[in-house]
Amino acid sequence: MNRAFEAAEISKSFGALQVLDNVSITVNSGESVGLLGPNGAGKSTLINIIAGYEKQDGGLVTLDGTPLDDYAPHVRAQMGVARTFQAGRLFPQLTVAENVALGALGLGLSGKIARQRSEHVLEVLGITDLEGTPAGGLSHGSARLVGLARALAAQPKYLIMDEPAAGLNEHEVPALLAALSKVREETGCGMLLVEHNVGLVAQACSRVVVLAAGSMIFDGDPQAALNDDGVKSAYLGDAAFGGGHS
Amino acid sequence: MIQAILDAVSLGGVYALAALGLGLVFGVMRLVNFAHSELITVASYTLVMTHQFPLLISIIFSVAVASLMALIMELVAYRRLRGSNPATMLIVSFGVSVLLQKVYELVFGALPRSASVATWMTGAFTVGGVSITTASVVTIVLAVVILLAMGYLVERTKLGLQLRAAASDFQTARLLGVRSNRLIASAFVISGALAAVVAFVNVVGNPQVDPRFGLDITILALVGIVVGGMNSLRGSALGGFIVGAVLSLLNVILGNGRVYAYSWMFVIVIVILLVRPGGILSKFATKERV
Repeated sequence: MNRAFEAAEISKSFGALQVLDNVSITVNSGESVGLLGPNGAGKSTLINIIAGYEKQDGGLVTLDGTPLDDYAPHVRAQMGVARTFQAGRLFPQLTVAENVALGALGLGLSGKIARQRSEHVLEVLGITDLEGTPAGGLSHGSARLVGLARALAAQPKYLIMDEPAAGLNEHEVPALLAALSKVREETGCGMLLVEHNVGLVAQACSRVVVLAAGSMIFDGDPQAALNDDGVKSAYLGDAAFGGGHS
Repeated sequence: MIQAILDAVSLGGVYALAALGLGLVFGVMRLVNFAHSELITVASYTLVMTHQFPLLISIIFSVAVASLMALIMELVAYRRLRGSNPATMLIVSFGVSVLLQKVYELVFGALPRSASVATWMTGAFTVGGVSITTASVVTIVLAVVILLAMGYLVERTKLGLQLRAAASDFQTARLLGVRSNRLIASAFVISGALAAVVAFVNVVGNPQVDPRFGLDITILALVGIVVGGMNSLRGSALGGFIVGAVLSLLNVILGNGRVYAYSWMFVIVIVILLVRPGGILSKFATKERV
C-alpha cells in the first residue's frame, strides 16, 4: 500500500457558502508539500478538516489507507498527524520545556518520556537555551519554533503547519527554513506547509497545491506554479470571478 | 506578641488551603465554586460524627467524604455547564450550596452538632517563658506540609503540568489531548481533600458544626483568590494567606474595636485591588480571558 496522508474529494459548505469544492491533496511519506492560495481560498478549512477540527460534508481523509474521519484531533495526533497553530497557542505561563512536553503528554505518554522528547526536540531545533523561559516572554520567531517543537514532540509521521512564517522578520524566516530542513533530515516526516509566502514554499517544498475560491487550480512543481497563468490570476485577485479556474 | 504572630500565620495558612481548593477548580473550569463551603461543612460533620474513632481514621473518613462529594458535585451539577458563562456557573454553585445546606439541616438538624475532636490540640505549652497554643503550631506545620505537597504536585508532576496548562488555556490543552474529564474530576477531588483539612483545623478550634459551618471561611477565601490573582494557584494561596493573617492581626491590634476587623480588612482589600486590579500576582492577567 502507498504510504501517504490523503484528503480525497473534500467538500465543505458553511450555509450557502461553498468553501471547498471537491479538493484532493496527497502528502507522500517524507514529502514536503506546500498549500498555497489567497485569503479566503479555503486553506484553513482544509487543514482543519485534515487535522480533525472540522467535519467535511463530503470526501475522505486517510492515513496510510486508514480512514480518519471518526477520530478526534488528539487521536489523529497519536496515529501520527500533528499540527501547529497559526496563533501559536502556547501556554504563556508555562516554560518552553513544559509547553513542548505537553505535546507528548497529550498522547498519554509518561512524564519522563515527555521530558526526554522535549529535550531532544529542542536540541534538534537548536533552541535548548530557551528551555526554562516562560513562553509568554518569547519573541515571535522563537514562539513559532516552540510551536513547531510541541508538534514534533508527538513524533508525527505527518506534520501540518499553519502559516509558520506569518509575522516573521527577514532574519527569522531563514532560521525557520533551516529548522524545517533539519526536521526533515532527522525525522523524515511528511510535511504540509500552508503559506501565503510563495518564496518560502518554493524553497521548502518539492511540490505545491494551489487553492483558489475553494477549488484546486494547480498541483505540481513550485517553479511551474510561479509561471502558471491560473495561479497568477488567482493571486491578482480575479479568482472570485472565475478568471483563473479554467 | 509571638502568639499573635503565630495565630496570624496559622489562620493565614488555613485560608491559603481553602483558597487553593477554590483556585484549583477555578483554574480548570473558570467556576467559582461557592459550594466549596458545603465541602468544608460535610467534612466537619464527618469529623464530629466519627469522633469516637481514632483521630487518623476520623480524618481519613472526612477526606474521603469531602472528596467524594466534590466528585459528585462535578458529575451531577457542573459537568454539563462546562464552557458556560461564568455567571451562570456561579449562580448554579449558589444553588448547589443552598441545596446542600438544607440537606444538612434535614439530616443533622439546624442546631450545632458538637464533639471533642483532637482535644490535645487545645492546650498550650511554654517556650522560653512564652506561652504558645498547640493548635497554632500544629496548624502551621499542617499548612506548610500540605502547601509544599501541593507545590510539588502542581509544579513537578504530569497531573500538575496538565492542570496548569488547562488553567492557562483549556481549549488548547484539550486539542493537545489532555483528558478534560479526568483532569477536572482530579481538580475537584483535590479541592475536596483540601476542604477536609480546613475542616479539621476549624473543628478543633470551634467544634460547633451547623449547616452553614463552612460559609464564612469560603467567602473570605474567595476574597483571597481575588486579592492574590485568580489566574494563578500561587496567587490564590498567597491571597488566602494575606486575608487570614490580616484578619487575625486586626483582631489583636484593634482590641475592643475588633468588631470592625472585617471592615478594616475589606478596606485593605479594596486598596490592594485599586493598585493591582488583577490581583497581586497578575503578571499575565491582562492577556487572559476573564
